[in-house]
Order: sequence, then structure tokens, then C-alpha cells
Amino acid sequence: MSIETPVDQPESPTNRPDSTHRMKEWFSRDYVRKIIAIFIVLTIIIIPIAWLVIHFLELSGGPASSIMEELETTIFVFTLVSAPLMAITAAVLVYSLFGWGSIKSEEPPMQENPAIRTNAVAVIGWTVATSLLAAFLVIWGLVELATITADSYGSTPSSQQPNATKPIDVNVTGQQWVWTFEYPDQQKIQSNVLVVPINTPIYFNVTSKDVIHSFWVVEMGVKIDANPGAVTNTGFTANKLGTFNIRCAELCGLHHAYMETNVQVVTQDQFDSWVREQGGKRTV
Amino acid sequence: MSQTAVIHEQQAVPQPKQHGKPGGFLAQANIFTGLIGGVVTAGVTYFIGDKLVPWGTQNADFSQVGLNALVFCTFVAWVIGFMVGIGAFAGPIRWALGHDLTHDDAEYMAGKGQGRMKYWKYTTDHKVVGIQYLVMALVLFGFGGFFAMLIRTELGVTWREVFDPNFYNSLIGTHGIVMIIAMIIVVAGPLGNFIMPLMIGARDMAFPRLNALSFWLLFAAVPPLVLNLVLGGMRDGWTAYQPLGTQAPIGMIGYQVCIITFAFSTGIAGVNLITTIVTMRARGMTWARTPIFIIGTLAAAIMGLIWFPMFQYAQLLAASDKVIGTSFYIPQNGGSVWLYENLFWLLGHPEVYVIVVPATAGILELMVVFLRKPLFSYKMAVAGFAGVVGISAVVWVHHMYMTGFAPQAGYPFMLSTELISIPFGFLVLVMLGTMWRGKAWNRLPMMIVYAVIFDKIIGGITGVYLSDVPVDQYMHGSMFVVAHFHYMLMGAGLFGAMAVIVYWFPKMTGRMFDERIGKIGFWTAFLAFQVTFLSMFVAGLQGMPRRVLQFDNAFEISNWISTIGAYFIGIGMLIFLYAVITSWRNGKVAPSNPWGSKTLEWQTQTPVPLENFPVLPVVTSDPYGYGVPDPYLKVEEQLDKDDNETVGAR
Ligand code: HEM
Ligand SMILES: [Cu+2]
Ligand SMILES: [Cu+2]
Repeated sequence: MSIETPVDQPESPTNRPDSTHRMKEWFSRDYVRKIIAIFIVLTIIIIPIAWLVIHFLELSGGPASSIMEELETTIFVFTLVSAPLMAITAAVLVYSLFGWGSIKSEEPPMQENPAIRTNAVAVIGWTVATSLLAAFLVIWGLVELATITADSYGSTPSSQQPNATKPIDVNVTGQQWVWTFEYPDQQKIQSNVLVVPINTPIYFNVTSKDVIHSFWVVEMGVKIDANPGAVTNTGFTANKLGTFNIRCAELCGLHHAYMETNVQVVTQDQFDSWVREQGGKRTV
Repeated sequence: MSQTAVIHEQQAVPQPKQHGKPGGFLAQANIFTGLIGGVVTAGVTYFIGDKLVPWGTQNADFSQVGLNALVFCTFVAWVIGFMVGIGAFAGPIRWALGHDLTHDDAEYMAGKGQGRMKYWKYTTDHKVVGIQYLVMALVLFGFGGFFAMLIRTELGVTWREVFDPNFYNSLIGTHGIVMIIAMIIVVAGPLGNFIMPLMIGARDMAFPRLNALSFWLLFAAVPPLVLNLVLGGMRDGWTAYQPLGTQAPIGMIGYQVCIITFAFSTGIAGVNLITTIVTMRARGMTWARTPIFIIGTLAAAIMGLIWFPMFQYAQLLAASDKVIGTSFYIPQNGGSVWLYENLFWLLGHPEVYVIVVPATAGILELMVVFLRKPLFSYKMAVAGFAGVVGISAVVWVHHMYMTGFAPQAGYPFMLSTELISIPFGFLVLVMLGTMWRGKAWNRLPMMIVYAVIFDKIIGGITGVYLSDVPVDQYMHGSMFVVAHFHYMLMGAGLFGAMAVIVYWFPKMTGRMFDERIGKIGFWTAFLAFQVTFLSMFVAGLQGMPRRVLQFDNAFEISNWISTIGAYFIGIGMLIFLYAVITSWRNGKVAPSNPWGSKTLEWQTQTPVPLENFPVLPVVTSDPYGYGVPDPYLKVEEQLDKDDNETVGAR
């Protein structure tokens, strides 16, 4: 490379513009400014996706439990933090097509594109940024998982203290292609519809008689597989009155599609009278 | 300076004696003798098994097991008979008898002087095998796409069941596994075989006969799978979870034999690819000068080689449950359904990367050419692939968050799953850096790259949701997941494969690809793809489970939209296929290096001669020496650079 240089002082600090100056120079470049502009616009476009997602989630009547609420918050936060990364990718894409003019270049580019082989700032900056993002997602996820686990096992999430109200146990059995709910503390009454009182923790022991099913209480944001030969557990505390969906979320044979039922969230009084109607009585 | 002064005297290597005409039995063997061999062997096995062996006489309950065993043996007999018929064992047998193949035989097997017939034979030339893989992948996409149309028809007709539920469930599973197989082979098969040896400057693959073996094993594996639809179906998804699979009709055995055979095929192909890449690169092609596509192929081959056996074991044990009455997965007799799920996903997840990694690496390779810029940070790309290979081993449980087999496992596997986004992020930066300040040549492959990156953005953000256990608690098993993985497998994987196939089309077929028609096909499919799967996200968010054939009214509208979109994907793909076929048959004759690329495969003539290169090339730099020195760079930085890197001298 024959570029005229003061060979005797290549590392001389006085020769090198300081980094703030170089950064300023970089930010003053036309394409950098335009990409940043596109980036900001795209970020602003991507973030509302979170609301859209949550809107669709709520179409069927949820959220009906704190777990589902937690989950919606997570979707919102995750969209918020990953939007910049998505947006910068899209911004470069857009600028490459329209700014640098790929879309109109019918001829093979001659050798005029810059031979950028690497760039330490970009490499390190990107690695740090994506790692921080991943770390944030992990930490958020771990904390949240602990919270909803506590929640489904009937504790008050923040304090991990057992909830004041004693949980109601329900034994859930999946069988091709019906769900059966048994209330062991209510003299083992059985039902094909899940009826639960509001604001009371419900604790499920889930199993299956034949193949794998998956017990999905849609608007509660709760799901666990029903496995033959094993009992799995989950739970929720409903905080909204109404009728919500229970579906099977694991292909379980011919009529998997029809393996659905409802959960009715009722008041404590209604629940007690329902239990009596079914021939049981509340023992707690 | 050392000098070689001693000149070794030329010694006559003892050659095996020529027995008759070159080829021997191989001259007769081809796909038709293979088919005859397979069908006859299968028929005889079935007949003898049915008549002579008293299946299930000991125990009345045993009868079903007996039938299963009979069907299993018949399918295995088909595979063996086919391989015998096509001449797969001719070489080994002659070797065992002491009549090894002569040089003439070997050349005959490589397809010398056979014209078009070589594509129908047990041919060892890597270029022939590459074309065979390409055609096979297209055929599989045809099947899989047709099944997809049937599935979408059922889901669009919301007022009644079009198909019998058993058939519908089998259809979903068959669509899934056919597409997965097609995607696994579509890049690593045609391009890994045809292009890769050329790209590293080799005369052939390391093990030419294994090359043929891997292809024809794949070929033999497919009929049992597709036949399941007429043998009562497999009734299960492509995951074939147990014990549902044990309940399924005999069609399930077709699936199992297919996977067991296919795993042999991928194992053999993997060994061959890895050995070739590691040992046969041209003189001077150090690792740092190896094109990134080769690195990607290597990464995929390593993952396939390590993890495919898991899938094979999973199916061997499942077949054994069905065929000889063991109970690995039957809880009533002490088995565990979680054992199956773990074995399955040990491959199941890395497999996604086996699909996406070669397509991504191919995209990087062609971006460089269409941008006429060096690859941005080669080292980062390599680190990205290495990271994916490493972490891919420890993420499988994210498919099992909701199985309850170990509730505490959610924590570490959420960690690993979210960490794998870091090496994938590296690859994104490499793409962005390569695009940075470059003007790309607007040709179809490059335009597909833009489309692929767009799909990756959507697949990426939805993947972030799914990696989170609590969110997955809602999404798992819903249509949201289906839409997400189609964005990755189809939006990034299949479209990426289309880009690289168009890019290497002139080298492989000797014809230019008809981009005008191809463009119409691709953009139709791409837009329809967005319609289909964006609305599928909506259905999933509303709570629609996957693998259902009827559903709540709430999901009707989004399913109608999806179905209409899917038909348009079908139309777009057919147009694209038309472009492939017409350009292949009578496209413009391609020059040897139509894109002006620097990698070695473009430096040899088209059509590629049997020995690939007249003289083996010697490599003096990496193939990315494009572009001019960056005018923005300060003088001293330019100097640093010159010390560190030899900019392409070729
Ligand atoms: C024409 C384009 C395609 C359409 C319209 C389509 C549609 C579908 C539909 C409707 C399902 C069933 C969803 C469910 O109810 O669970 C499905 C499943 C699946 N598809 Fe596709 N698909 C297409 C292409 C592909 C491609 C290119 C792949 C590539 C690998 C693929 C892989 C799968 C897999 C693995 C499944 C899961 C099967 C299972 O649940 O067992 N599909 N597809
Ligand atoms: Cu079920
Ligand atoms: Cu089900």
C-alpha cells in the first residue's frame, strides 16, 4: 500500500484524532444519520406490536389470573427490549436497499464498495449489546418463573408465604378425549367442568389414563402435560368471574380437537352450593 | 531452503486384474433393478413371514405384535433389497472375494461415458450425487407442499370435517417429517456434495462410494414413510410421541423404518462431508482462507453426526415396543414417556440448526459476491457457527418445559436457550456488516437474502417470547408455535435455500436461471407466506391449539385468511418450480463464472469435467478480496490493516 505516511511516528498520539472527534465525525456522516432516523422510526413501529399481541391474547376474555397478567407484562417488556435490535437490523436492510441503492443497481458493482473487513468497535459493541440483552431476558425470565411457580403452588408471589386461604386440590385426569375433575377434599365429587371459586388458590394434580394430553387453562395462562404413569402439578388463583376455556394442547389421537371444556369461576357462595348440588360438602 | 534431491523411481503399482467389461454387475444395476429388488425382497419376506412363521401363536394378545413385526421386516427387506438391486454391495462383495474394483471400474462407477443414465445409477461422482439430492429434495417438497395444501383445506373448511381424523392426523405428521427431511437435505445435499468439493479445490469427496450410499439410503427411506398414508396412517405428529405411537396403525412402522434408515444416511453423509472438508482442502487453503459456506456445512455435518443417532435410538426403541413387545415407553409396564421425549428432542432441536446453518452460511457466501465486499469479520462468523454447535447440545428441554418431567429444569434451559441468541446475533452482525455501505447487485439471489432477513426478524422476536418459560406456558402447543417455526424453517430456511440454489444453479446445471419467472414465483410465495403465517400467529394468540381439525368459531377468520394465503404460496412455488425446470432444460447456456465470484468452484469450467480441475489449484488468499480501501479510514488504520491481513491477491 503506497500511502504517504510519516513512517517514523505511526503510533504517535498527536497524529491520531482523539476518539470523541472520530465519533463526532462518524455521526456527522450522512448515511449514519439517515440510518439512525430509520432506526428510531422502526423502533417506534415495532413496539406497538406488543399491544397488538396482548390485544389478541385478551380477545377470549382474559386475563383471569395473576399468572396471565404476569405473562402479558413479560411479552410487553420483551418486545420493548428486543425492538431496538430488530429495528437496527431492519434499518440497515432498508438503507441498503434504498440508501446505498441496491434496489436499482442492475449492473454488477465494480470494485467501488469499501473493503471493510472488520471493525473492532462494531464487533465489541454488538457483542456487548446482545449479551446484555440476553442477560436481561434471562434474569427477567428466571425471576418471573420463580414468581409464577410460587403463584401456581398457592403462595403469595412476593413474600413466598402460603396464601391465607387454603388451596383447593383438584385431581385432573385426561383420557381420550375428556377431562375429568375430582375434588378430593369435597368428598371426591367429580365433574367434567371445572368449577372454582374466585380468589382461592387451586392446586392441580394432573395425570392421564392413556396417552399424553396437555391441560391448558387458556385465560389463566396455565399449562401442564397430563402424562400416563406420572402426576404433574400446577395451579392458579382466578381473579375474574366468568367462564373460560380449557383445551388439550398435545396431540392425543383422533378427537384431540374436541377435547375441550370450560372453567367456571364463581363466587365462594356459588361454589359451595355447586358442591352441595353435586353431593359433596365443603370440608374446610 | 531445503531441496528434494532424491527423485523416487516410479514404481508400478500392482493393479487388480480387469474382469470382463468395466463395471461388471454395476453395468446392469440401476434404479429399476433396485426397485425390482426391493419390491421382490419385500414381497417374499411378507409371504414367507405370513405363511411360515407362526407369529403370535403363543399368545392371543400377540397377534398385533405379530403383524407389526411382519410389516417391520417387510420394510427393512425393502430397504435391503433395494440397496442390493441398485448394486450398493457390489463393491464390498468383490473386495471380499479378492477382486477389487479396477481403475476402469472406479471410473465407470463415477459415471464416465454413461450419459444421462448415470443419474439413475449408483454413481459415485459427487456432482451426480449433488444433482440427485437436488431432485430428491424437490420431489419431497412437492409431497410436503401438497400435504400442506390438504391440511390448510381442512382448516379453511370450518363447518365440517373434510378428512377422517385419523387421516388428518397422519397428514400433519407426514407433512412435518417430509418437510423436515427435505429441508435437512436441500442445502447440505446438493450444495454440500456438488459445490463443496469444488469450492475447496478437491477432485471428489473423501469417500465417493459412501456418497452414493448416503443418497440411495435416503431414497430407500422415503417410500415406507409416504406409504404410511395408505397403511392406516401414523396418526401422530412428526414428533411421534409415545404411547400414542404405540396405538397407531401399522403406518407408524413406515415412519420408524424411514427414520432409522435416514439416520444411517445422514451419518454416512456427515462423516463424508467432515472428512472431505478437514482433509481435502486445496494446497494453501488454511482454515482462515476457507470460505464461510464450507465452515457452515462443517458445523451442520458435525451436529447431524452427533445428534442424529439419538433420533435413531428413539425410533429403534419405539419400533421395539411395537414389534417385539418391549415397554420402553409404556408406563403401564414400567416405561416412561419422558424417555422418548428426551431422546427425540436431543436431535429434534439441533436439527433445526442443521437446517438453518447451511442455508445461512450459503447466504453469507453469496452476499459477498453480490455486494463485491469482503465478508465482514470472518472470525465472528466462525465464532457464531461454533457457538451454535456448542450450545445446540444443551437446549433441547425448551421443547419440554410443559411436560412436567423436571419442573426445575426450566431455569437452566431457559438460560441456555436465551444464550444461543448471542452466537446467532454474531451472524446477524456479519450480515449487516457485509451490507454496510455497499451497493448490492440486484439479482434474484440477493433480493431473496433481503427477504430472508426480514423473516428472521419476525422469527427472532417471536422466538424470544417462546424461549421464556412463563410465556411458553401459554404458547406451547398452540398455532403460535407453528407460525413461529414456519418463519424460521420456511421463511429463513427454505427461502434461504432457494437463494443459494439460484446462485449456484449455473454451475450445477450449466444453464442460467430464468430470473424473470423465478422472481414472480418467489415474490408471490413470499407475500402469501406473510399473509398465511401472520394470521396464524393471531389464531395462536387467541388460543388455538395446533394439530386440530376443528376449532372454536373465534379462530375462523384467521384460518380462512391463512388458507387463502397458503394456496397462493402453492401457486408461487409452482411458478418458481416452473422456472427451475424450464431454465434447467433450455435456459441460456451459462458461462463458467457468471457472477464474477472469487471462490474456486467458479474458476473451473462449466459443465464441470469429471476430475473437476485440470490442475489442482493452489490458494494464496481468502476469496473475499473485493472492494477498494475504505476512503474514510485514517491512514494509520490502513497501515495496521495491511499488517494484519493480506487482501486478496487472486
Ligand atoms: C406451503 C407452505 C406450508 C404451509 C401452508 C404449511 C402449513 C402447515 C400446517 C397447517 C401445519 C399444521 C399445523 C398444526 O395444526 O399443527 C404444518 C405443520 C408443520 N409444518 Fe408446515 N407448512 C408449509 C411449509 C412447511 C415447510 C417448508 C416446512 C419446513 C420444514 C414445514 C414444516 C412443518 C412441520 C415440522 C410441522 C409440524 C407437524 C407436526 O405438528 O407434527 N412446513 N404446516
Ligand atoms: Cu388430549
Ligand atoms: Cu389432545
